[in-house]
Amino acid sequence: MRSTSKYLAAALVMYGTAAFADEQAEQFRDAFLDGSAGWEDVRARAKDEGTVNLYYWGGNDVLNVWMDRVVAPAMEAEGVKLNPVRITGTKDAIDLVLAEKNSGKGVGDGSVDAIWLNGENFATLKRQDALFGSFAQLLPNAANIEWDQSDSRSLLNFRDFGVETEGKEMPWSGEQYVCAVNAARVEAGDVPSTFEELRAYLEKNPGKFTYIKPPHYLGNTFVQAAIYAHNPDGNGAEAFQSSLDEIGAAELARLITPGLEYLKGLEPLLLDANGGKPRYPEDNAALDGLFLNGEVNFNCKFGLYAVATGLATGTYPEKAQEFIFPKGNMIKNKNYLAIPANAPNPAAALVLVDYMTSVDAQVSKLKNVGMPAGIDPWKLSDEDAAALAEASPGHTGVNQAELDANTAPDTNATLVDVIEATWLDYIERGSDAPIADIVARAAENLNK
Amino acid sequence: MAFKNVQSLSERLSPFQKFYLIVIAGFILGPFIPLLIQSFAFRWAWPDLLPSTWWLEQRDKSMLPLAWDYVFSPYSRVWEATVNTVFIGSVVTVICLAICLPAARVLARERFRGKSAFEFFLSLPLIVPEAAIGIALLMIFIRLGLAGSYVGIIIAHLIPTIPYMVRMLTAVYQGLGRDFEEQAMILGANRRQILWRVTLPMLLPGVVAGALFTFLVSTNIFLLTFFLGQGQIVTLPTLLFSKISGGTLDASAAGITLIVTLPGIILLILSERFIKEEAFGKGFGN
Repeated sequence: MRSTSKYLAAALVMYGTAAFADEQAEQFRDAFLDGSAGWEDVRARAKDEGTVNLYYWGGNDVLNVWMDRVVAPAMEAEGVKLNPVRITGTKDAIDLVLAEKNSGKGVGDGSVDAIWLNGENFATLKRQDALFGSFAQLLPNAANIEWDQSDSRSLLNFRDFGVETEGKEMPWSGEQYVCAVNAARVEAGDVPSTFEELRAYLEKNPGKFTYIKPPHYLGNTFVQAAIYAHNPDGNGAEAFQSSLDEIGAAELARLITPGLEYLKGLEPLLLDANGGKPRYPEDNAALDGLFLNGEVNFNCKFGLYAVATGLATGTYPEKAQEFIFPKGNMIKNKNYLAIPANAPNPAAALVLVDYMTSVDAQVSKLKNVGMPAGIDPWKLSDEDAAALAEASPGHTGVNQAELDANTAPDTNATLVDVIEATWLDYIERGSDAPIADIVARAAENLNK
Repeated sequence: MAFKNVQSLSERLSPFQKFYLIVIAGFILGPFIPLLIQSFAFRWAWPDLLPSTWWLEQRDKSMLPLAWDYVFSPYSRVWEATVNTVFIGSVVTVICLAICLPAARVLARERFRGKSAFEFFLSLPLIVPEAAIGIALLMIFIRLGLAGSYVGIIIAHLIPTIPYMVRMLTAVYQGLGRDFEEQAMILGANRRQILWRVTLPMLLPGVVAGALFTFLVSTNIFLLTFFLGQGQIVTLPTLLFSKISGGTLDASAAGITLIVTLPGIILLILSERFIKEEAFGKGFGN
């Protein structure tokens, strides 16, 4: 009950002194972003703020435990109480930030301090001008991340689904789209490595594969991989790095047609299709269930260490192992921590994000949660890099070098929307219209 | 007493009736069986009838608390959610009673212009979808600084509970009549004595039933709590939703589901006992 009165008091205080807090927070923000406030000032202010509200997708027990067991004590040491708010979808936090912004809550006045996000959700906040500012390179632990634009490996830190990050979000974790196979049900020789081999396998074993339904981002990513592999110009992901305005709807339609035709042709061979309409799971938990129960023999998702963690939690079948698919087009990206423009505790949020990108936090996260590092190992001391390498939960069936050799970048966020709309129209609703028309219509809807 | 009743009941029933009773019990209890098994499982895959690996076998190997260990660990937030749920439910019930008792008295005993329209108006919140109320309230509460606070959630919970409570208490007042109170007045009791010694004891069974019902409704409200709590205030329904929205039920989700059903079951048992024996006994027996 003690916390109740605290909340009440906090609500009253916030209501009464909103305008005052606003001004101070604004001054702090400007001072930090132009470099006149040093890191010690940030830490001191964070102690005064006392709390930090981190909003993140709470569907992963292991991550929840890690937040409470590792991050909370680390923040405690900084004099800040971590309030981990577990949400069912990252979009809930985005909606909350925007709703508060629209009802006039500015700096220091909202309720979300930091959000774990990437792609579309970041693009939305950026478009609506709802981000704190370009803070990433000002944090002490920015040294763990590659910011040299001449190094092509820095691209993942500057571009989030093709959208310029501008330092308004900090890389926190890396991911790669990896497929797992249940080796108890599929012989080693039958495991596909290209989309054509997958089709050949399904012709012999119909119904033993499905992918998560777009607009879920895991479904979108599978569709993108298929489109890369069927790119008529043969240059894979390269053509999909520019925005819709730069490419144009007609050119995009030409580039994605072969991939979508392939997916349409694959439909009758997918789970429960029996030559008709297949069943697409709604999210990764549903797909994990199908994979565990042997309804499908493969499980594709962002999960570089999904097999190791799936075995540790009993959500994967015992003989699960990774394999390289599709060859050369395994999409790799990063996910980030962003600070909204109306964060109530901006200094505490900065301290939190800085801690999250420390070597200690990254090693512990990789080891305990199986979430790949978001920092770049070549920027670390040999000792730290070795600790990070040692923390890896490991792979079954493939090695890191093979995984590294087959990566591809994400698709530009503006194209993702159009491709998603096209998939829904052409494949889910079975539209007879030519793909060029569907793409043109989708592009037009987006520009409205 | 209760046991004797059951015995005599089972003697009176025909085999056909007994069969029906068992089927109904099966429908009610059936879903709990897989839930209970799942809550002790580590890996339970089709086509195994029982889990191939149990939680206890993996307990020492896993660095993460599994199944019931997770449910009862602070990480699952079950305790925090239970405290919040019970606290919000209790406050809502008390406020709801304070508002509805006088209102029900007037509605049951007085006649005034537009009374039936007013009664209809009172049940409107039950007709308007919760999502519509929730979003509108959220916009208002954000401005007032009440979003994400206990006060905000309690106010929101009053909206769907007041109509029920008013209806129940109105019926209770109507059943009571003025006779007893007038009798007491003739015998020289003052207003206070009448209220404490006559009216309230006789109302008690209805009040207890209404209060338990309100509490139960409040502890089950998901959408309004979710909107107005903004994820900052966890209650059992919001905790459960965030756990099972993925569509699969793992061991810890099954455990939390079982925990969530507990307040309802406890209250049901309490209300059965209290309303039948205590309240009715005191109100009408002597």
